[in-house]
Amino acid sequence: MQLNRRDFLKASAGVGGLVLLQPAVLAATNEFPNTSAPQSDIAMLVDASKCIGCWWCYAACKNYNKLPETIKPDPEQAPELSPDVWTTLHTTKRDGEWIFRKQACNHCTDAACVEVCPTGALSRNKLGFIQYDKDKCSGCGYCAEFCPFGVPQLDSNKLTGAAVMDKCTFCIERVTNDQQPACAEACPTGAIKFGRRSELLEEGKQRVAELNNISSKGYLYGENELGGLHVMYVLDDSPESYGLPAAPQVPPTSIVRNVFQWVGIGGLVAIVAGFGLNYIIAREAKITSELPGKEQMGRGKRNG
Amino acid sequence: MGEPRVVERFKKRTIWFHWIHTAAFLVLIVTGAILFIPGLGSAAAGGLTRLIHRIAVVFFVGLPVVYFVFNPRMSLHFIKETLTWGKDDLDWAKVAPLYYFGGDEEKMPPQGHVNTGQKMWQFVVLGTGILFLVTGFVMWFFKGSVAPGIFQWCVVVHDIAFILAFLMLLVHIYLGIIHPRMTESLRSMWDGKISKKYASSHYGKWYDEISASEK
Repeated sequence: MQLNRRDFLKASAGVGGLVLLQPAVLAATNEFPNTSAPQSDIAMLVDASKCIGCWWCYAACKNYNKLPETIKPDPEQAPELSPDVWTTLHTTKRDGEWIFRKQACNHCTDAACVEVCPTGALSRNKLGFIQYDKDKCSGCGYCAEFCPFGVPQLDSNKLTGAAVMDKCTFCIERVTNDQQPACAEACPTGAIKFGRRSELLEEGKQRVAELNNISSKGYLYGENELGGLHVMYVLDDSPESYGLPAAPQVPPTSIVRNVFQWVGIGGLVAIVAGFGLNYIIAREAKITSELPGKEQMGRGKRNG
Repeated sequence: MGEPRVVERFKKRTIWFHWIHTAAFLVLIVTGAILFIPGLGSAAAGGLTRLIHRIAVVFFVGLPVVYFVFNPRMSLHFIKETLTWGKDDLDWAKVAPLYYFGGDEEKMPPQGHVNTGQKMWQFVVLGTGILFLVTGFVMWFFKGSVAPGIFQWCVVVHDIAFILAFLMLLVHIYLGIIHPRMTESLRSMWDGKISKKYASSHYGKWYDEISASEK
């Protein structure tokens, strides 16, 4: 049976669904449904086979987003994503040579971060990517903990918990004003392309076919993963060798959480209704039992 | 109502404990529920409610610790009472539903200092308290250093503990304040006293015990 996640949620809204929850969730989230990203969405296509590790995307991102700048990183010590690093390169050695893959928010269609964000600070832009409103962020960090790629970053105050999340914005001001994201514009080799997702998908498939003429490991990552990513990758090796999980999924815990929200609300309604009913019946009975004769009899028995 | 309220049911310190703990828990509920109930989340924007949650938790956890240090015997008695279940509880459960819907009081087996229902509430307070404490501790101090899967389950368990504790709190409030039969409950949590009549009809076994020890 093919279930997508939304159908699954509807089906399991009842308490009865809980029993079957864990295996069903795993089944539902492990099978990629066909990509559900709309045709009008925009995206980026990152061709890892064309990346030379120049770090221009990294520098352009920092420059455009006014993040503290650093010197060109060494592939041995590639910077990790942080509140000050929204895009970086994942570096691995293969046969003595470095291979690189641009690493930033993948702007999933089934985005766990949006699912778990309590305040609605994270949301989907109508162009498909994941935007966020810093003023709405509560700093809870659920997005960082539920993201299958570990992308959102917060520097929390250990004592007070105060924090504000940061991540790749998809250069929202640029892309909504007919410009490319800063990283795509800076890339000198055409390894980062920006455009309509549907067109980039075709281009990616073609490129993978070309790579498969050389080796058979070509793979277009992000076509269907998590409902379709808005950053897709042309890979000439396994996803793992580029630091990407082979089967990313919205964590089942986030779905369990949704189900319990409805269990809680259902319980609340049931209990309040129960109180009303109980009050009416118990009050009636109390009035009846307080008729003098009966009351005396009852107490006499107890105290005797 | 006119009965003199002369039986001591709660000590002053227990009453203080109860209300400060209640206040802390209400703050925790409000600041936590807005992160949990869909649609209320915007109230948490900016993170102030998360800070308030942490301040309230200091009281919520600190108070029982202080109470325990100064009243170890009473505290241990409370824990023992909460964890001791037996045939009496089964007998209670058989007739309680009828009783709470106004059924015959005489069919109710005499209860100890707390009845089975109150013991259930104590059990939920203690049990969810531990769940809140452990999962909350991980989420507060180990965010980012504990594996994401563990953090996620802490969120889920914290949520479930909240549902349990909150719904049982509603039952506690309803029975303590609103239920037509519990006429002296709320006042007893204010000045610690109940009438002999209320003591013998609601906590017969306990009343017999304290009456006997006074003689």
